Amino acid sequence: MTSSACPCCSGLSFETCCGPILAGAPSATAEALMRSRYTAFVRHDLDHVERTHAPEIRDDFNRAEAERVADECDWQRLDVLRATEEGDEGTVEFLIHFRRDGQDMRHHERASFRRVDGQWLYSAGEVNPKGEPRRVVKVGRNEPCPCGSGKKFKACCGR
Amino acid sequence: MEPRFACTACGKCCHGLLPLTLTDAVAHAVRFPLALVWTVVRSNAKSYDLATRLGTSVRLPNRKTVAVLIQPTAYLPNHFPCPALQPDNLCGIHADKPSRCRTMPFYPYREEKDQADLLVPRKGWECDVSAEAPVVYRNHAILDRKDFDRERAELLEQAPVMRTYADYVLKYMPWIVNDLAKMAAAPAGGKLVTSLSSFLTATRRTDARELAAAQAPLMQAMAERTRTDPALADFHRNYAGWAKEMERLAQRG
Repeated sequence: MTSSACPCCSGLSFETCCGPILAGAPSATAEALMRSRYTAFVRHDLDHVERTHAPEIRDDFNRAEAERVADECDWQRLDVLRATEEGDEGTVEFLIHFRRDGQDMRHHERASFRRVDGQWLYSAGEVNPKGEPRRVVKVGRNEPCPCGSGKKFKACCGR
Repeated sequence: MEPRFACTACGKCCHGLLPLTLTDAVAHAVRFPLALVWTVVRSNAKSYDLATRLGTSVRLPNRKTVAVLIQPTAYLPNHFPCPALQPDNLCGIHADKPSRCRTMPFYPYREEKDQADLLVPRKGWECDVSAEAPVVYRNHAILDRKDFDRERAELLEQAPVMRTYADYVLKYMPWIVNDLAKMAAAPAGGKLVTSLSSFLTATRRTDARELAAAQAPLMQAMAERTRTDPALADFHRNYAGWAKEMERLAQRG
């Protein structure tokens, strides 16, 4: 039997990529879980989507609508733009390309994941995320100037 | 001159979208295909304060705040008669008809003092506004206010539920804010429609399955009736999609 390419666009076969995760194996990373959830939509396996929700959002899941969306969309591609993990917290920013009602559409989301008892769970998502907030560091008047001159800020760039 | 008004039972107002109270929507779920209709009320509108109490406030991306009414609605194309309207133009459910129909032509989403223009028949309607018709509104006050007060009270009572739903939608379908912003910017306003299934999910209704079972065949029938008319393509798409959602919801244990 020839193995088929995984719908998540990883380049791996389904059997070595999302297949085991859809079958219930824990995903190694938040990104792997994200990919498997996309694959679940492609394969109309909404059970996997439902069981990988964090408890706090489980009751918010509109299964009926998700089933319909899975049916009506022609899923074309998943792009994982960024994936980071810190301990049991993970963030995956992704872009899904799909066609619905004859229109090309994109879904851009920054999703948060949490590992509970070795299982990654989807806990929140921000659609069309804004960029990282710009950090503005305030410099006290009497602190050393951040330009590295060695002078106090008020006597240098803060003048 | 005092405005006069009497209903001639022409049936003309019994067409198209019918905003319902939540109680009426649930009570008539076997009869009306239901959706949630969002209307933006701008901060310079007369009914803005009332709309914030009956609906919710939403901050738009341009930092303006608008009030948004979310009305459970019998979702029908403009020229479709109410399913309860009989061939003789009388109401088939007169004794149990929704608050909205009882209160006509008054509208409790507006302040009581701002109802005069609603007594002017709309184009094609045959309301009697002649000298023979009774005075129904005097000095900006409704003379027989029982139905108006009842509908208003139901709307105030359901407001927290609608706010819960608004919060859910803005969290899980945040792109809707952009649609609301477009509606706020458009001179004619506009309406945004969301599904009953998301409402049932958001409000955790224990009767979700029964309501879905009542709705599924209605949505299916409406999808059929709107299938061939290109002007009703949006209605058809919604009915067909919601029929599936209602079927699935009805089947769930």
